[in-house]
Amino acid sequence: MSHSRLARRRRRAGILLSLPAVALVTALLGVPIGQAVYYSMTSWNGITSTWIGPSTYSVALHDPIFWRVLENNGLLLLAIPFAIGIPLCVAALLNEHVRGWRFFRSVYFLPTAVSWVVIGMVALQFFAADGILNKLLADVGLGTSATDMLAGQHSALAALAITFIWSMLGTNTIIFLTGMATLDPTLIEAARVDGLARRQIFFRVTLPLLTRFIQFAFVITVISAFSALFSLIFVMTGGGPGLGTTTLEFFVYQSGFAQGQFGTGALYGIVLFVIMIIVGLVQLRLIKPADEEGR
Amino acid sequence: MTATPTTPTSPAPAPAPPAAGPGSRSARARRRLNSGLVLVLMVIVAIVMLYPFYYLLDNAFRNQTQFDRQHGHSAAGWTQLFQSLPVGSELLNSTIVCAAAIVIILIVATTAGFAFAKLRYRGSGLVFLFVVAALMVPLQSIIIPEYVNLAKFHLISSYTGAVLVYAALGAPFATFLMATYYRGISDELIEAAVMDGLSYERTFLQIALPLSLPAIATVTVLQFIQIWDDLLVGLLFLPTNDRTITVGVAALSSGRTTSIPALMAGSLISAVPAILVYLIFQRHLVKGLTLGMGK
Repeated sequence: MSHSRLARRRRRAGILLSLPAVALVTALLGVPIGQAVYYSMTSWNGITSTWIGPSTYSVALHDPIFWRVLENNGLLLLAIPFAIGIPLCVAALLNEHVRGWRFFRSVYFLPTAVSWVVIGMVALQFFAADGILNKLLADVGLGTSATDMLAGQHSALAALAITFIWSMLGTNTIIFLTGMATLDPTLIEAARVDGLARRQIFFRVTLPLLTRFIQFAFVITVISAFSALFSLIFVMTGGGPGLGTTTLEFFVYQSGFAQGQFGTGALYGIVLFVIMIIVGLVQLRLIKPADEEGR
Repeated sequence: MTATPTTPTSPAPAPAPPAAGPGSRSARARRRLNSGLVLVLMVIVAIVMLYPFYYLLDNAFRNQTQFDRQHGHSAAGWTQLFQSLPVGSELLNSTIVCAAAIVIILIVATTAGFAFAKLRYRGSGLVFLFVVAALMVPLQSIIIPEYVNLAKFHLISSYTGAVLVYAALGAPFATFLMATYYRGISDELIEAAVMDGLSYERTFLQIALPLSLPAIATVTVLQFIQIWDDLLVGLLFLPTNDRTITVGVAALSSGRTTSIPALMAGSLISAVPAILVYLIFQRHLVKGLTLGMGK
């Protein structure tokens, strides 16, 4: 068989086999994102749409509700250091490889298999006025500091953030544990011979070598905080009290499916998309150099 | 790797006084103390991670009064759950939707993954980038046009719409994972099969596909948990009487009329299948996550 005929057959097979994936992604992700851009510049109730133009975006920028919602996304970012720092410590514990560490690893990763709905359901009972948290506080003699966290705007967001940190523990711990497994043990041994204390070894040797993994965990955590918490908000707070826990992703649902303002919903969806692209580009920039270095 | 106190990563007391050499008694005692401390910390984290599951189990077997008093157990939670939720048919719905979406994902991801890895054609790199870039599209950004499109094609009165959306959402990462896996298969193997007279399509089916079973398992487990646990797609795109169990339980909670023990029972039953899959296949889940790191 001639070489060029083979190459032609190969190309045809390549196109044929990649076609279903391309068609699926185009029809259900590509086209709708284009439509969302278009509809974000219209006034649209789901049936009739009136073209308005890019001015919808400047209107939104002058809307206090937009900034209130964006503020919630910003405040959620305050959870990120905890959602990364705590798993780092937990991974360091597991990495001591004390007898039974594999069992603990499985336990910590377990919430990854559980839906946000279920997590939210228990979290609701945890933070409720007569819930677990206040009972715990009373048990240790702090009954006076009992609070109804879900009743206040900022405290409800804090409750949401704490639940989020709890849920991310497994994923981020596994990421860091994988990273620690790639470290060259002789480096740590050398540092120890040099007389560095364990804490110094962790901060001066281990941590810098884990940079890539920390960056990856950071991106995953930000993406989750901004686009995976719908169910948690739905179950725990319904976006309230007021707009207290309404983030961009929840506002899309609210304005589209509760208030029938499809144009506004589409616009907020696009704002969220742009934020995700920025986070994604940061990730690409961070991971590229590390890859070249590794090969 | 078994954990012994002599592995290089095991804890060691920092700057050891000259008298306490590595083999001396006090160093060994201190090391044992250290791993004891690590164990205690790991147990504390385990309690924090497992408590919600204990809470679910404990409170599902109560009635509302027993719940309020946190005293006494009964089957009331379960009886009320089965009265207010078609648990059996919703579990079946979850299974059908998961299975259908995973089949589609596997078909498009294995074929496209193989094409992008082994049957490169001009522009295939860009097409690959397009498919993988769809990962960055948050569901909320497209949900409104998606809803309108699917409604227009009458796809939200059955499983079809939700299955298609789940498939499209899962396809980019699955394709990425499969392509990564197929790149690890040698080109010579593929070319040898073609020289033997197999078409590229047959080579894919008979040679590459059986070799990629581990990656297929990873995709299946990841997607099963993701789709089983999802709320938003099911909530919007499934007809009310064809809901999945996760959606059913979430809807029950937003009704606010159901007793808390019934909600706990519902949460528990909705979580069990995903937890079982996790416990049996956790290796694949971890592999999928680390593959996502571009390793």
